Amino acid sequence: MKAVVLAAGKGKRLWPLTENRPKPMVPVANRPILEHLVDGLDAAGVSEIVLVVGSNRERVQSHFGDGQEWDLDISYVIQEQQLGTGHALLQAESHVGESFIALNGDRIIDAELISQIWEQHQATRDVVMGVTRVDEPSRYGVVELDGQDVVGIEEHPIPALAKSDLINAGVYAFTPDIFAAIRRTNSHGEQALTDTLAELMDSRRIRAVHYRGMWLDVSEPWDLLDVNDSLIAYQGPPDDEPATVDDSAIVAEAAILGDGVVVHPQAAVLRGVTLGDNVSVGPGVILENAVILSDVTLKAGAVVTDCIVGANTVIGPNTTVEGGTTDVVLDDAIYRDVTFGGLLGDNVDVGGNVTVEPGTVVGNDATIDSAAVISGRIDDDSHVMRG
Amino acid sequence: MCGITGYIGTEATGRIVHQGLKNLEYRGYDSAGIALTGDTLRIYKTKGEVDELPVPSQANVTCGIGHTRWSTHGEPTEENAHPHTDCTGDVAVVHNGIIENYDALKDDLRADHVFRSETDTEVIPHLIETHLADDVSLLTAVQRTTGQLEGSYAIAVTAAGHDGIVVAREDSPLLLGHSDDATFIGSDATAFIEHTDRVTYLETGDIAHLTEENIAIYNDGNRVERDTETLEWDADAAGKSGYDHYMLKEIHEQPRALRQALSGRIDELATGVDLDVDLPAEYLHSVEEIQIIACGTSYHAGLFAKELLEAHADVRVSVHVASEYEFNGGRDPWRTLVLAITQSGETADTLSALREASHAGARTLALTNTLGSTVTREADDTIFIRAGPEIGVAATKTFVSQVATATLFCVYLGQLRNAMPSKTATDLLADLRALPGAVQQVLDQEPHIKATAHEYADSDAFFYIGRAAGYPVALESALKLKEISYDHAEGFPSGELKHGPLALVTPNTPVIALLTNETRAEKTLNNVKEVKSRGAPVIGVSSDPAITSHVDTVFAIPDCGQMGPVVANVALQLFAYHVADRKDRAIDKPRNLAKSVTVE
Repeated sequence: MKAVVLAAGKGKRLWPLTENRPKPMVPVANRPILEHLVDGLDAAGVSEIVLVVGSNRERVQSHFGDGQEWDLDISYVIQEQQLGTGHALLQAESHVGESFIALNGDRIIDAELISQIWEQHQATRDVVMGVTRVDEPSRYGVVELDGQDVVGIEEHPIPALAKSDLINAGVYAFTPDIFAAIRRTNSHGEQALTDTLAELMDSRRIRAVHYRGMWLDVSEPWDLLDVNDSLIAYQGPPDDEPATVDDSAIVAEAAILGDGVVVHPQAAVLRGVTLGDNVSVGPGVILENAVILSDVTLKAGAVVTDCIVGANTVIGPNTTVEGGTTDVVLDDAIYRDVTFGGLLGDNVDVGGNVTVEPGTVVGNDATIDSAAVISGRIDDDSHVMRG
Repeated sequence: MCGITGYIGTEATGRIVHQGLKNLEYRGYDSAGIALTGDTLRIYKTKGEVDELPVPSQANVTCGIGHTRWSTHGEPTEENAHPHTDCTGDVAVVHNGIIENYDALKDDLRADHVFRSETDTEVIPHLIETHLADDVSLLTAVQRTTGQLEGSYAIAVTAAGHDGIVVAREDSPLLLGHSDDATFIGSDATAFIEHTDRVTYLETGDIAHLTEENIAIYNDGNRVERDTETLEWDADAAGKSGYDHYMLKEIHEQPRALRQALSGRIDELATGVDLDVDLPAEYLHSVEEIQIIACGTSYHAGLFAKELLEAHADVRVSVHVASEYEFNGGRDPWRTLVLAITQSGETADTLSALREASHAGARTLALTNTLGSTVTREADDTIFIRAGPEIGVAATKTFVSQVATATLFCVYLGQLRNAMPSKTATDLLADLRALPGAVQQVLDQEPHIKATAHEYADSDAFFYIGRAAGYPVALESALKLKEISYDHAEGFPSGELKHGPLALVTPNTPVIALLTNETRAEKTLNNVKEVKSRGAPVIGVSSDPAITSHVDTVFAIPDCGQMGPVVANVALQLFAYHVADRKDRAIDKPRNLAKSVTVE
């Protein structure tokens, strides 16, 4: 079985993490989103994966190589410009000769969904789409069903007008004639795969596979914390601990520590925490509900709660990310009562005694002077002085 | 430097041997050939790369040998390509190494034999032919022949009408791979890594007879047993993972390679280093001098190590180009440690220098990337750099891993010799720890570096200047550029420029200045002014934002303390790559070069 994974998405809403890496490479439970997906594909019996990659593709290629580590055959096609999901899929045309699975690279799903879709496709040769039920369907493509057939898809409808609470899970089975159908679709700049499917509905059956298992999406930054927590619970505690932990430090059973992590005396790594490779947790640091990317240094006494910290960032002594619930404004939309202590980008230099108020988002390579109090959005390369 | 492969088993051999040659192509690629033996012997040869050699399609032949060549004796022509045969056309030989007495042997043979090539190798099949005429087995004929040969070699021999393949090893690397129903031959494991990870390293003087059913190894006429080991490397490196070149893939692998080099070796809670060094502590305590022997990129890593060791480990260090090394100067061998740095562990010049040092009575330590390589068996102790396989001929990730591992050794030695204050150790280890992330930051700047490379690609020449640890990196960065772009590039100590090389500087010779912290950047800036006043464009590599006003272009790198020059090197690897790529050079297989040089 062969799968085409669309892994070229920019994921602007996860700014600034997605400036240096494509969204599928943002880590949860210490592994990129895409790696969780690849595990699912592997478990479902996929042996060959074509990754459609775009900007920052080096991150994907260096991580997955030729797939040897997963015993899979992984190859790459490049989508030079972001011209929609249909356009992305078209890039893989020369790599696909028969029926295949296609899916978005930035969602985490179970092997079970892939297997069900594939079985349905093998039995019918029809286009098959996975659909799942979510709390806020209007954030996605809402699907209208007639029995087992998809009869309508509407992207981001006004919540009151959503035809159902079922959404397109972004997993499909196609025969190669999908490529001709994509080319036939009237595109206005962007070729969305769902536009092609909407046209196809008039002439062909599109079967839905209704799926109730794990389907995790990271749209907004705080979703990272929830998905991280869910995955830690789902996977159970890790088998081996490649980290160095001082005897006087506390590490929660369900925390995940990467290779080369050092936890100094009296530090507490509490629930919902993952630490990337080579993270240094200084003496007396307290971490709770946090996703810390690789090579981060947390100096003595820092408190980091409900927070995401980008790679290679340094957090000074006694700096506090207090965490908690707040209202966040992101891309002109307001999100009420989200649990979000903040998001610090890659290579940020945070001094000592800094206070990071809930909901703060700091761009890459910023410098925050000691004792500053920061909130809101701080751009890349900014220098925030005290006072 | 050449690559040997071979196969005996149950499957059609042509395809397997051809693929083995493809895998070994980084060892040499100016001509290639295959011999298949059944009832008759068939030879396939080409001048040029392995791709130009057709895949032999004889389905029923299950025994063969192959060779990819990097010319030493005789030009890259079809006649000089291996396998070489005898007058009857029944004996085929592939060979890596040098037969030193081939001239004399050839003179003796010339009366009764016709030579078709200019190679040293061709004497071997003719010698074997002479012995086979006495009606002995192929094994005996090869045993008698090796008795006549002087030099270093790994050979594989097959002959029509004789069962199996006979291989012999004298210094040059050779190993066997074992799968359930076949035996593979390789100069290194990449030759057959997709078939098996179970290998036997042959030792010097070993001669092995491989048949479909059995492997018999002899040394000095006696039957010997050699251990079978399981390799830890996988075949991951067999592909380019979507990159245009292995070199670019390997440049991007550096954060991971560095993490592997450091993994489990830093005990940060105790501020110490765990390196598994077996050399006695009392000896390391009493050492007065470390002599580093190395070639090419490894030599530059040695110069970097010298900076650190002399500054922090209270020991005198001299760095020697291995081919120029002699143990002399009245040194006390009991107080001298010789550190051999070689990526492949097979570099002939370095091995030869190592033997000279051992012979003089000095203890030896190897720093290498290759498990089971010759240097690991000949040196008293080995430290591995754990960079993983490197296929691109231009070394990238192995350089940074060599420097990182040498830095660990420096901390180990400095602490052992009570020469290193804990602050120095903490700082060095913190710099090392920051290195993978800092390298990633440089990789994230590739678009800017690429644009700069394209802007300057058509320059007349490139000069690299630096001081302290910036100097070895200037040399290494210049070597990278000349290896793959074929442009004139040179590295100088910044202060040396005005003593001569400044005469070469023109508005069309960009100068790349290493201005990282702790490399006396403020002094190098004076030299930048010297070249700017001659109109040369200057690229500054620095973590100081104020540098912008002094240079034309900045490669901004994160501050990484004493490891700063290593981070700078990564930026300049990308620069060299994109200059060469702009010119459409054969980046993974630069002309005239080979990955590991196993001839002196």
